Amino acid sequence: MARVLVADDASFMRQMIREIVEAEGHEVVGEASDGDEAVEEWKRLHPDVVTMDIVMPRRSGIDAVKGIIDLDSTACIVMCSALGQETLVQEALQAGARDFIVKPFKPDSVIATLNKVLEKDA
Amino acid sequence: MDLAKYRTIFIEESTEHFAEISRALLELEKDPASAEAIDVVFRMAHSIKGMAASLGYDSITELAHRLEDRMQIARDAGRVGPHEELSLLFRGIAALEGMVNAVSEQGEAPMADTDLLADLATLAPSVPSKKKDPTGAEAAATPPGEAPAAGAKPLQTPRPPPTVRVNTRTLDRFLSTVGEVILNTSQVRTVSEAETGQNTALSEGLDRMDRIVGELQRRALELRTTPLLRILEPLPRAARDVAERAGVRVEVQLVGAELELDRSILDRLSDPMVHLLRNAVDHGIETPAERIAAGKPAVGRIVVEARREKDTIRISIGDDGSGIDLEAVRRRAVEAGVLHPDLAADLTPEQIAALVFEPGLSTASEVSEISGRGVGMDAVRNTLESLGGAVEIATERGRGTTTTLVVPITAAVQRVLMLGVGAEVVAIPIAKVERIEEYPSDKIERTGGDAFVLLDGDLVPVLDLAARIAQPSAAAGRLTHLVLTEVRGERIALSAERVASQQQIYVKPVPELLRSARALLGLTILGDGRPMFLLDPNQIA
Repeated sequence: MARVLVADDASFMRQMIREIVEAEGHEVVGEASDGDEAVEEWKRLHPDVVTMDIVMPRRSGIDAVKGIIDLDSTACIVMCSALGQETLVQEALQAGARDFIVKPFKPDSVIATLNKVLEKDA
Repeated sequence: MDLAKYRTIFIEESTEHFAEISRALLELEKDPASAEAIDVVFRMAHSIKGMAASLGYDSITELAHRLEDRMQIARDAGRVGPHEELSLLFRGIAALEGMVNAVSEQGEAPMADTDLLADLATLAPSVPSKKKDPTGAEAAATPPGEAPAAGAKPLQTPRPPPTVRVNTRTLDRFLSTVGEVILNTSQVRTVSEAETGQNTALSEGLDRMDRIVGELQRRALELRTTPLLRILEPLPRAARDVAERAGVRVEVQLVGAELELDRSILDRLSDPMVHLLRNAVDHGIETPAERIAAGKPAVGRIVVEARREKDTIRISIGDDGSGIDLEAVRRRAVEAGVLHPDLAADLTPEQIAALVFEPGLSTASEVSEISGRGVGMDAVRNTLESLGGAVEIATERGRGTTTTLVVPITAAVQRVLMLGVGAEVVAIPIAKVERIEEYPSDKIERTGGDAFVLLDGDLVPVLDLAARIAQPSAAAGRLTHLVLTEVRGERIALSAERVASQQQIYVKPVPELLRSARALLGLTILGDGRPMFLLDPNQIA
């Protein structure tokens, strides 16, 4: 049972991820709607894993990844991207994100990716 | 996973996104290099795309994706392309909105227009890239036409304040319950007044209850109010659309949009406002050439201003266009049989202007596709009057026209005058009551079907309320009460047997079954449990 921080500027997406994650028995401990908030909430909650949207206002998802990795190089971050954002995903992975999931979300792929990432961490 | 609730969120969020996109696009019209506005449109399109993809609305996803790509180009270039580019974006957004509405109404997203998709896919040729310019020269960054004037401040459309989203049905049920509490409190008071006698503790308790319930009522009414911004916000963009089709240029300024109004009233003002705005752009504002010839700036100016005045809010739409051709109105009124030719000469300019509200008077161009939509000026007036308000119009040939909607602040609680008519008790809104006079009923002049009295040197028509609501009239030789009021600018007297008191009552909407009776504005439950109807003098006359 992992503690998850969900970062996405669309409440629609946050709700969807929450539903998927909670159905699997994990706990969503916080939500963030922009890059700044993502870093703030990470500092406050120290979750086991963060799902991070790539495109967000104020601070971008990639920037937020850098911010979190700076604070803790072992942080577990999964990027959420839309189709056609391969270059951005690459950048995010280079910045320290562990893996990525693609929108529209298939619940099974989301869970599989999360589990993979959490396993490696354990 | 249950996707039904996500559909609702999708529609709600998309609606908010569209409002933000509109603001941003209008900003980009004035400042094509606004990085913030470009970012907003990009992110909103991206967000709508994401949601649509999650729900399987492929056609919406595709259109949003194209728009997002377009905005990505703009982001890279540091600016949006010239006029045609913005028009294309507006078109794209309008189409996207249409598709989301279709989902909301029919549950399915229609296919996107293939021409639109093709247009969106063609690369914008004249957007110079900010990044790679080998010659190092400041490439033709200024599009043909005028550059934005140095230091020009874009007209800021106000941002709505932070809010909490509440399900409207929940809110309505809550307010309805509060209304019941208020009605019940006064019932308890009526009953207990008979019983309390010398019981001061009970009396004091009831007084306290009155005060607290009054406070609850005030708070509940506050919940019902929403800033006017909600209906005013779409106006600048609607004006732009109409202006483009009409071949004129126009700028809309919103003043006082932070004022609040009861939600149910607000919703009914939306259509009239759009209609008046369309009229202003379509019939009021002249073409740039005409304007310059008349010594006016090429861009027409429309000011939408909301002001609070005691118990009402006045929302005016004023343009600096050509004004109404009163002669043409007078002529059409006579032609249409609305005005007798002999009377036509005697009318004041205000009275002629008021004729535009008469049904059947639409000039040919008013029925055109642009100003159509089945909402004529007569419908505007009807709507306002059914809300207990009015419409005023002032015009000056060559200078412009201003139409003002006068709206009561809240429909729910109104001050009314209670009248006894036969066995019934009815109420009329007190706002328009000038005064009440006792008058011997046999002194009322009757000719044909009409009745008159001479008051203050004027002949004032008298309406027998009893006859109007099928109650026995007052017996002859008795004194009757004449309630002097105003209907459509004309003074009339409503005759009623008894005048009870003035009261503030909580007005409930007329039940569905009775909606077609236009004379009924609402109803309330009296202290003794009887229902009492609120009548609309405009409809009874």
